[in-house]
Formats: sequence, structure tokens, C-alpha cells
Amino acid sequence: MTGTVLSSGQAAMVLFGSFFTLLFLRVPVAFALGLASLPVLIIEPRLDSVTMMSETFNAFNSFILLAVPFFLLTANLMNVGGVTDRLMSLSRALVGHFPGGLAQINVVLSFFFAGISGSSTADAASQSKIFIEAQRKEGYDDSFSVAITAVSAVLAVIIPPSILMVVWGGILTTSIGALFLAGIIPGALIAFAQMATVHAYAVKRGYPTYPRSNWAQLGSAFSKSILALMTPGIIIGGKIFGWFTATESAAIAVLYAGALSLIVYREMDMKGLYAALLDTGKLAGITLFCVGTASCFGWLLAYYKIPEVILSGVSSWGMGFIATGFFIAGVFLMVGCFLDAIPAIIICGPILAPLAKGVGMDPVHFAMVGIISLAFGLVTPPYGLCLMIACSVAGMRLRDAIKDTMIMLVPMLVVLALVIMWPQVSLFLPSFISPEFLK
Amino acid sequence: MSSASAGQQTAWRRFTAAYARLLSHLVVGSVAILVIPVSLQIFSRFTNLIPSYIWTEEMARFLFIWTIMIGAMIGVRESAHFDVDLLPQLSKRNEAIARCCGRVGVLIIAFVFVWAGWKFTRFAFNRISELAELPLWLIHMAWPITGLTWLTFLGEQFVDDYRIITGKGVQS
Repeated sequence: MTGTVLSSGQAAMVLFGSFFTLLFLRVPVAFALGLASLPVLIIEPRLDSVTMMSETFNAFNSFILLAVPFFLLTANLMNVGGVTDRLMSLSRALVGHFPGGLAQINVVLSFFFAGISGSSTADAASQSKIFIEAQRKEGYDDSFSVAITAVSAVLAVIIPPSILMVVWGGILTTSIGALFLAGIIPGALIAFAQMATVHAYAVKRGYPTYPRSNWAQLGSAFSKSILALMTPGIIIGGKIFGWFTATESAAIAVLYAGALSLIVYREMDMKGLYAALLDTGKLAGITLFCVGTASCFGWLLAYYKIPEVILSGVSSWGMGFIATGFFIAGVFLMVGCFLDAIPAIIICGPILAPLAKGVGMDPVHFAMVGIISLAFGLVTPPYGLCLMIACSVAGMRLRDAIKDTMIMLVPMLVVLALVIMWPQVSLFLPSFISPEFLK
Repeated sequence: MSSASAGQQTAWRRFTAAYARLLSHLVVGSVAILVIPVSLQIFSRFTNLIPSYIWTEEMARFLFIWTIMIGAMIGVRESAHFDVDLLPQLSKRNEAIARCCGRVGVLIIAFVFVWAGWKFTRFAFNRISELAELPLWLIHMAWPITGLTWLTFLGEQFVDDYRIITGKGVQS
């Protein structure tokens, strides 16, 4: 190392050591990332604490991240404006008669919701309020209800549109249109795996079911939600055909959800609108503030060339294509236990990208492995935001819901393994619809 | 505690509550306004009704920065910034001690934001933005203000936790 006081190893020790110590001391993650950067900024003569200001400024000064509040707002508008209710009736008409009907509806509603919203935390927050109390009344176990609500919420970032895909595309310059298409099949497979899990639980534990809807009811539910169901087509289509950028597509989603709520369904009043905007501002502020301090942390890692040091160790193992895929998934799953997904992309994405490139992994395939792993990180303790949100709505402790969550993760991990070993699962749709996006 | 200091305290709490309400209104306004420049950008591209403005993107980004910072300010008041709970279930008193530990971390960052944030703002005094030609210090100001706001909100939280720790009960 030339020009720095600390060596890569020392800097890594200080950064990671203080970060984990601070986490243990209950410092909020966003602040722990900033505090962990502080000693290094003070020790290194060329840097000072103003570096933290300018790095957070650079992180926030991004047109791409602007998609985050828009996707959150879309979700909030859907909830107050009656879009979610209509999708709920449709889900009930479709799967209510399966064993564990309400829990199946929970998964299917998340699937539809995912096609409009790009935020898993918004999904977890809204569906926890809808389902946990309702499932409790029908005799479902609390830990099961919390777990299924949390794990189905992760679909929102795997099925397009997705905040994670927008951020990944922006940071690692991968085509966001291709990522949107690539998420569809894995997302559907994960939803299917979750429905199978619910089925197994319901049969074993004798969870209740609803009478089967007839065709007329199904048709009516479908026609009522057709306008909402068109949203993914508009967003994904608009992105793929190049009508608008990712951030603009999120703004379109806001306008469309707003128009449905205010003009078509007319269920939103000014109070509801205010609540939706306030909730969006608060959650966006908390989520994105963490992105700022994580960027500072990540910038310091790059400043000391720590990624290169880690990577040179790993590349000497001589892993093949599939082993590398599993290694990448493993890293993101581990990091996802302690960090939110966006900061994890900022810190780890650029570290792992050369590794994926080295074994000839398509950037879109690499992105899907990373995004799915990080999505699972939203329900893995100790820092699983979706699980934390569902637990707080249910008024139970995280550790009481862990067992059922882990059981539900097993079939989902099988799908992840499939995505790793068989690139066509994610690459088929992009190569079929818009091959020009793939290199 | 004398009645005078109790009176001061409620006045202080009324002030912080009013400030928090103001911040909520501001964040609601800024999220609502954010949609406008981005939508303008799309409409100006596909219709001839309005000219395509070059400053829309920059305006959106700057307002976005303020939105994040205000959201982060409110997050501290509501203790909504997510932390990792690795400790087992604690008693109410120990829980308050653990919370205080975390808050000391927030406090340090708050001081850094005030101090370094002020230097950061001073750098920008004579600079203007590239497209909209706004004075940059208007945006850099968000950092020291965020720090000051956190300090304002942290004070009463420390007082509340101190009361739980010493068993003096919480004043609502």
C-alpha cells in the first residue's frame, strides 16, 4: 500500500470490527455504518469527517434512487385507494378453496402486489395489517401467520418492478429492462414453492378453507381488478420499449395508482392521501439514510482496496461456474442477515462482479442470484426487515417466528439453487423478448 | 423536582412535538412535489404541450435529498431507524440501558453532522448548481440541520430512559 497510513488489513479490521461491535450495542444500522467509518476518517490524514458528508451527499444525489420513494408511494396509494382490496377479492376467488385458503390468498396477493409495487417492506407492512389478525381469528398459529406474511413479501423485489433491480442496474450498469424480465420466472417459481409449503402446513395442521368461487364470481373479481392488473404491463413495457427510464416508470406507477384511487375507484380522501405521503416520506428517509452511510463505508473499503485483497484470496480457490454462483449467493445471504438489501448491493455488488465475470456469468444472471439472495435476507434474522415488520404488527418477538420462517425458506432456497445452476430460468425471458439487452 | 423545571420541561416537549409536526408536513409536501418534475420530464418528451426543461432532473434530486434528510430526522424522534436485536429479552430497566447505548451512537453521529456538516456547508457558500443554478449551500445545509434536529430530539429520549433506569417513572 502506498499513500495510506493504515494497511488494507488494518482498515478492514477497524471498519468491520467496530461495525459489528456497534450493532451488538444496539446502535441503529445506519448510524453504526457511519460511526464505524469515523475512526478511519480521523486516522487517515488525507480524509476527514467532511468526507462522510460529501459521500452521503453523492449517494443521495442520484436520480436512480428517486425510484425508491415512488415505489413506496405506489404501494401506499394502492392500500388507501382500494386497489389492494380488489386484488384481494381476486386472490380469494382464485385460491380461497385450497387448504389453508387465507394463507394461500396471502401468497397470491403478494404476487399481484409485487407486479405493481417494487418494495417488500411496503408489502410486509400492508399485508401484516390485513392478514395476521384475520389468520389469528381463523385459528392459524401466530408464528405461521407472521412467517408466511414475511416470506411472501419478499416476492415484491423479485417480481418486477423492483427497487433492488433499479438500484442494481444503476450501480453495476446492468440493463434494468432485462432484469425486470429476468425476475418473472424465478418470482413465479418462488410463489409456487410458497403455495406448496402452505398446502403442506394446512393439510398437516388442518387449517380452514373457503368454499370454491364459481366462474361468475371469478369473472366479476377479475373484471374489477383488471385496471390494477394492467400496471405491471405499463411499467415493464414502458421500460423495455424505452419510453421512460426506471425512475420515470416508478413515477408513472405513482400517477397510475393515484388515478385509480382518486378518479376510478374514488376510495381515497385527503386524509388517506396525507397518510400515504407521510408514511412514504418516513420509510424512504429511514431506508435511504442508511444507503448514505453505507456508501461512505463502501467508499472507504474501496479506498483501501479491501475488495481486491478479499477477491485475490477467493480467486485462488479456482471455483467453477456453479461453485461461484453458490459462493455469490452465500455471501449475499450472509450479508443480508446484517444489512438491508440496498446497502448490501452498494458494498458487495462491485466486490463480487469481477468474480462473476471471471467465470463467464451473464451480468443479468449474476444480478438475479444476488437479488434473490438479498430478498431472502429480508426475512433472515437478526436483521430481516420484513420479518421484523410482521412481528411488530403481530406483537410477537422475532425469535418466536424464526422456526417457521426457516422451514418456509427451504423450498425457496431450492428455487435459488435452480436459478444458480440453470441460468436459463432467469435468462429465458430476456433473451426471448429483448435479446439486445444481453451481452 | 420543582414545579418551575417541570413547567419548562413541558414547554420544551411542546416545542419538540410542534417541530416534529412541522417536519411531517414538510416531508409530505416534498414527497408530493417530487412527483411533479419527474412527470413533467415524461410529458414534455411525448407531447408538445410543455417545453422540455433541463432543470427538472436536478430539482428532483435536490428536493429528494431534503426528503431523505427530513425523513431521517423524524426517524430518530420515533426511534424508527432499524437496529439489530441480538440480546435476549431484558427487563424494562435493562432494556432502557440498552436503548441508551444505541442512542449514544446516534448522538455521536449527530455531533459529527453538526460540526462536519457546517464545514461542508461553508465549502458551498460560493458555489451554484450546474443546471438550475441554485446556490449549493441550500442543499448542504440539510446536513447540519439534521444534526441539530437529532440533538433536539435525543435530549428528551435520554431523559425518559434515565427516568426508567433510576425508577422515577416517565412523565408523559
